[in-house]
Amino acid sequence: MAYFRITLMRSAIGLPAQRKGVLAALGLRKRMATVYHPVTPDVAGQIMAVKELLDVAEVETALTKAQMKEQRRPERGYVVERRAGAVLE
Amino acid sequence: MFGPFRLTSPLSGGLLWKMPWRLSRHQKYRHRERLRRVDDIISTLDMALAKQGLSTKKLEVWKKDMPTEAEMLPRDKYTIFDRKVKRYRKGIHKLPKWTRLSQRINPPGF
Repeated sequence: MAYFRITLMRSAIGLPAQRKGVLAALGLRKRMATVYHPVTPDVAGQIMAVKELLDVAEVETALTKAQMKEQRRPERGYVVERRAGAVLE
Repeated sequence: MFGPFRLTSPLSGGLLWKMPWRLSRHQKYRHRERLRRVDDIISTLDMALAKQGLSTKKLEVWKKDMPTEAEMLPRDKYTIFDRKVKRYRKGIHKLPKWTRLSQRINPPGF
């Protein structure tokens, strides 16, 4: 099943309450928040209402909050780029 | 008339924000980027819905009425119709919230 990955890029501060309501309905509370919604005409209409504020992509699977956090986590440990002995030789 | 305590309009009148009458080229560049971003979202929605054989009225109306960034004339990109202004055009940056609005078409003939 296809999903829209929707990210709020621009804040709705100072915009009409109608548009803030659409963001609330989409579940976007603050900037850079990401939500997934199924590809339906209803959701497309909601995106159309606030398209200037969003970043939208079509993806195959929806990620949970925990999975999104896991994607942001850096690799554990460290990588040795070169050893001091090799430089001195 | 001169010196630190001269009478200028911001000093005597309190709050006064001046807005240049035209956009800088960097403002124009960022404005084009924003227009293209909206175009991308429209095509994303259109493709995603078309895969399922669906569409929605808002999207169809937009595609019928609104030109894309590449199709727009510079005149419509950077200026907006205003009946109170000499020669009926003012910079689009005079429009409140102009970076978060879609203002693409103007009255025909102006």
